Amino acid sequence: MKKLSLAVLAASFAFVSHAFAAEAVGTNRVINEFPDGSISQEEGLENWQKFFEVASHPRCANCHVGADHKPMWSGPSFGDKARVHGMNINAGESRIGAETLLCSTCHVTLKEPDPNANSIAHAAPKVAMAWQLAPVEAEWFGKSSSYICNQLKDPTRNGERTIKEVAIHLDHDLILHWAWEPGGTREPAPHSLQETMDALMKWSAAGTPCPE
Amino acid sequence: MGRVAKIARRTFLIGSAAIAGGVAFGVYAVKKDPDNPLSADLSDGSATFNPWVLVDSEKMTLITPHGDKGQGVMSSQAALIAEELDIEFGQFETSFGKPSPAYWNRAFAEEGVPFMATDHGFTAETMRSIMGGVVKLLGVQGTGGSTSMADSFDKLRTAGATARETLKLAASQKSGVPVGQLKTANGAVQLPDGTELKYTELASLAATIEPVKDVKLRDESQWRLIGKSMERLDIIDKSTGTLPYGIDISVEGMLHATVCVNPKKGGSLNGFDASEAKQMRGVKDVIEITDGVAVVADNTWRAFNAMRTISFDWGNATIPPEQEEHWATLSDSFKEELLDSTWRDDGDAEEAFKEGASFSAEYRSPYVAHAPLEPLNAIVLVTDDQVEVWTGHQLQRQLQVLVAAITGHEQDQVILHNQFMGGSFGHRLEFEHVKQAAEIANKMRGTPIKMTYSREEDFAHDFPRHISMGRGQGMVKDGKVTAIDLSLAAPSVMASQGGRANLPFPGPDSQLAAGAWNNPYNIDTYRMTAYRAPELAPTSSWRAVGAPAAGFFFDSLLDELIHEAGADPMEERIRLMGHDVSRKVLETAAELSNWGSDLGPNRGRGVAFVESFGVPVAEVVEVTNTDSGIKIDKVWCVCDVGTIVDPINFENLVQGGVVFGLGHAINSEITYSDGKADQSNYHMHEAMRMYQCPDIIVKGLENGTKIRGIGEPPVPPAAPALANAIFAATGTRLREMPFNKFIDFV
Amino acid sequence: MKLTVNGNTEEVNVEPDMPLLWVLRDELGITGVKYGCGIAQCGACTVHVDGVAVRSCQMRVGDLDGEVTTIEGLGSAEKLHIVQEAWIEHQVAQCGYCQSGQIMQAASFLEFNDDPTDEEIDTAMSANLCRCGTYPRIRTAIKTAAKNIREA
Repeated sequence: MKKLSLAVLAASFAFVSHAFAAEAVGTNRVINEFPDGSISQEEGLENWQKFFEVASHPRCANCHVGADHKPMWSGPSFGDKARVHGMNINAGESRIGAETLLCSTCHVTLKEPDPNANSIAHAAPKVAMAWQLAPVEAEWFGKSSSYICNQLKDPTRNGERTIKEVAIHLDHDLILHWAWEPGGTREPAPHSLQETMDALMKWSAAGTPCPE
Repeated sequence: MGRVAKIARRTFLIGSAAIAGGVAFGVYAVKKDPDNPLSADLSDGSATFNPWVLVDSEKMTLITPHGDKGQGVMSSQAALIAEELDIEFGQFETSFGKPSPAYWNRAFAEEGVPFMATDHGFTAETMRSIMGGVVKLLGVQGTGGSTSMADSFDKLRTAGATARETLKLAASQKSGVPVGQLKTANGAVQLPDGTELKYTELASLAATIEPVKDVKLRDESQWRLIGKSMERLDIIDKSTGTLPYGIDISVEGMLHATVCVNPKKGGSLNGFDASEAKQMRGVKDVIEITDGVAVVADNTWRAFNAMRTISFDWGNATIPPEQEEHWATLSDSFKEELLDSTWRDDGDAEEAFKEGASFSAEYRSPYVAHAPLEPLNAIVLVTDDQVEVWTGHQLQRQLQVLVAAITGHEQDQVILHNQFMGGSFGHRLEFEHVKQAAEIANKMRGTPIKMTYSREEDFAHDFPRHISMGRGQGMVKDGKVTAIDLSLAAPSVMASQGGRANLPFPGPDSQLAAGAWNNPYNIDTYRMTAYRAPELAPTSSWRAVGAPAAGFFFDSLLDELIHEAGADPMEERIRLMGHDVSRKVLETAAELSNWGSDLGPNRGRGVAFVESFGVPVAEVVEVTNTDSGIKIDKVWCVCDVGTIVDPINFENLVQGGVVFGLGHAINSEITYSDGKADQSNYHMHEAMRMYQCPDIIVKGLENGTKIRGIGEPPVPPAAPALANAIFAATGTRLREMPFNKFIDFV
Repeated sequence: MKLTVNGNTEEVNVEPDMPLLWVLRDELGITGVKYGCGIAQCGACTVHVDGVAVRSCQMRVGDLDGEVTTIEGLGSAEKLHIVQEAWIEHQVAQCGYCQSGQIMQAASFLEFNDDPTDEEIDTAMSANLCRCGTYPRIRTAIKTAAKNIREA
């Protein structure tokens, strides 16, 4: 019988970044550089807090889950109580659901970014890349500010990126942009994408201080 | 109060309706059979022997008038006819037929009489017989109350047998061989010399012969089909995507429509702005209908899409807008002036509780949506001469009446092409969607209009299961349950449903208390009182109607009393049981589930018994209390329907009933805010999915004297059996559905 | 625009944001694919795009990139797919409205994994809702189909 290769499928879907950006998150985003030491420790922590508000927001954290590979449903549109994603969804080690049910079976892939694609309330969000969970090392859901802070600056857990590269990743990765334009009745992540990138760069310039 | 006085006080649902409608009848009127609807448009050379069998030179057609919403009655009805007619699956076609009083449902009467199903005394049987006459006179055709097999079992076998005997007469005339020497098999009459005369060859001759009336039905030992697993007639089409449901029907020149009715229940439409919608591609018209708006377009999606752009000015709901008010209304309804009936009063409750109860508790059962997977839909074509309707419906004749009232035609001018239904669970007893389609089509005469609800519209106007509140108390003594006293308050679902269908239901509503008053236990004191709360949200019969709520209250209360007494839940139920067939059901459940064996840590086992629609059902549930919540491991369901027509379909329906009962008990409810249902789609009203589905072991017994239906009875015991098992595993007693408000499930 | 459905090239004149579901049902008259929820909660609309299960109510036709197979293209009464054979053998369907989607999901899943555990079946199939509760039979049918695929 015909056998589709898991590995081939995973390779073709996983972690593809597109270089173009969507309108509603702004098209004139820039990586603002701040000289090392130009931002105080205190201001650095304030900027970390800003980033943490984004990272811990349901639009981001729901898919930054741990090794059980189960995305979450939480946030005001799901009521008071966080629950695991309905339908017994498990994205597997592939983090794209290749072992059982592909994320992209429901979260279908758009040809091009389109903020109107998610206008139907409660429908499966979709973007112009394959829907997937964040890598398991980047577990955020339910984690403390301190934990996520130390994780984000640890190259073994952030995809071997400098903080600037993390900011560039935010700039380029379309699945992340969805957090600010989720559509339907979902509440967007706080701040703006540009502000979030700036917060990261300022936190970096302050020497990546972390809260206790 | 004496037994007869109690019966008189209760009066009857259908009886009251008939009297209210001014029906008078004599013995002759009841004995006379309604005309055979197949005779009306019979072509030359075709023969019909009764309303269920049609034979012509080309083919044999069996009419299966009970609606098929997934329970497989199209096949089962055909099998009953084929059994006596001596034809095989594959040799005939089927049709749902056209609405006719000839298809009156004789089993409807059974549920209307206020006697326990286990009561076969003179009074009970006499009242059933009288009620049967009323239903026949009214020509009440319908599918519901798990009555299809009970209604059809003798009737359709007789239809097959009379057709067979008439065909034999024709064969005798043709061949000159005496009837006594003829045999039948495989759709043909066999002569002694081995010659076969096919039924189709005999049709034109048989058409000239007065059909044989009195035939003797075959003994059980001779059955070829009944009692053996059959390949359902629809199973290949349903497995290849080729079976058309109402939503799949296409009529030449058809336009697509959808509606949006004020989601605030009962509220009116004050105004709307559809200027954007009217400009959208494919939109043909935007029409005001009763309390809402319809968009007519050339494609369903374009109609849905345009509807989203319309802004509405809705009037306020006519029901209490907030859910808490609904519960408060029930809480205030336990009072004498709202007494529906004291449905059971064994022993002396006043005496038993004169020094207070040893135990008391309150229970709640929420509104729950039917939400069959095929959204409600109907195609209607109105012309000056007639109205054609394509949809799947359970009350075909009443549909004609209500459509005719909208279009101004006579009932007989409404032609219903009944369709397979993608589920119902009671939803397709409703008429609002058909009436809406008729309203649109009446304004666009000559154009067939296919109206389809969006899933969101379907949830907004589901007419859910009624809410109910129970208050129970009991006494235990010397390790035994000695008294049980349950009161409940709920709005009458039959009154709500009947009101929309122009079918008044005065008098007590036996469904309020179903599953609570009729369990055949012998308890020293057994009182069951129902109070009829004012109507709240409009509701409708939901699979098993009253028993999922009242049965949950009663069996939970009994389980709590058994624990108070320190008795074993299974042994005490068996000890209290006063009905042999039901006792056997419990004993079989105990045996199959190995009741009493050690389950190990963090596990629990619960049993529940509820009788509904004349079927005693016991369910045993085993659960494990895991770190991530309750896991349902295994369920045993034992029931007795007298005769099982098709074992494989029986097993499927019982498994489905258990899943339906468990799933909704775990996580489903409809609640109201600002008069609107809070739940808009399946993510908020999920019921059971595969990962939560336990192994379900089914055992059907056949000790009962009457044949019963199995569509509904497995549902009611599921919730209490699960609650009882969770209590056994965790010590937490769940007295309100859905359970996931109080405890996590895996 | 053009699309390929069950091996046939079809030309449709529709908005690119019309979901594939409605293009199939209302424009092409292919009705084995069902509308149940419109938001990827029920799975009744499942089709294959290049052999992979996709909810056609979520796939805007303008985003379609591949050949579509519906239940009608998977197999027919004359030439049943191995999964359909198992569905018939175990008489899975009650109302049957969800079963096109269940079968399409199962067929796609078994292409990836023809020897699934119970847990894998429950993970792959729990996004397909069956209101009649045929889950025990779906499980059994998938195991039979898997066995038949392995032995084919």
